[in-house]
Amino acid sequence: MSEDIAKAGIISCSGEEISEGTIARLATRQVLETLRPGKAVTICLPLFLAGEEGERNFAKTHPTIAIDGCGKQCARWGTEKHSGPISGALVVSEILGTKAAGCSRSSRYTSQVDKEAVAAVAEKIAAEVDRVLAEAGHVKVS
Amino acid sequence: MSDRMKKKPVLVIPCSGIGKVHGLLSREATYLVTDEIAPEQTDTMCLALLVKGDSEALEAVKSQACITIDGCPKACAEKNVKIAGGTPSKIVQVTDILKEHRGAKPGSANELTDEGWAIAREIATKAARDAVRLCQEREGIE
Repeated sequence: MSEDIAKAGIISCSGEEISEGTIARLATRQVLETLRPGKAVTICLPLFLAGEEGERNFAKTHPTIAIDGCGKQCARWGTEKHSGPISGALVVSEILGTKAAGCSRSSRYTSQVDKEAVAAVAEKIAAEVDRVLAEAGHVKVS
Repeated sequence: MSDRMKKKPVLVIPCSGIGKVHGLLSREATYLVTDEIAPEQTDTMCLALLVKGDSEALEAVKSQACITIDGCPKACAEKNVKIAGGTPSKIVQVTDILKEHRGAKPGSANELTDEGWAIAREIATKAARDAVRLCQEREGIE
């Protein structure tokens, strides 16, 4: 078996106004730490948008996935503006539909509904990580 | 003056940095201010939406008082508000607060410990006090 594993970048919008932003943030962390450890890194969106060259260069040279809370897709917009086309994009409100309505913005009120929402989105992100790495030729398993 | 300004004259904008507990402290402190301590005076805004150039967001930071809460000295919330044409009335740095709590274990990028929640509340209480003062100053002007 030969493996040549690079990492995917995940950029979460973390939108503060809506619970979907919190879900995007937590699901991204869950992928990094639990579902696909070692296969992905996150990029700090505010830092990226403020002009941090290191972050922007990473998105230019690695397969990057934008995780947005809503249809405004701010993470996708920012990444494509500063680093060019992205490899994947997910929108939490499209994944969860009305299920997000019962979720909380603050982690103080985390309920079972919140946990299930985060887990559902995290699974989608993990699958997207697998896809973009495979397409980029970074994961070779024989 | 818009209805939003009349109801919520002060915007509290965190960086929500995803990599460390500092970003989560900024985010949760913001929710404590807007949802619990000073809900009549304050509101939050998606930082990414502001950076994207959303017209309503741009207008809001130019016309409303802003308090930025940044996790680290890179000050992404402060920088991005300034780039958008706003002038933060109060700038909060989580790292400065943490210097007063040496040895504290506030938690992780995913969740806060009891100690972390106490620190978030300390940050929020100060920010809420500033928000009330800013409201009073604005009422005095009008």
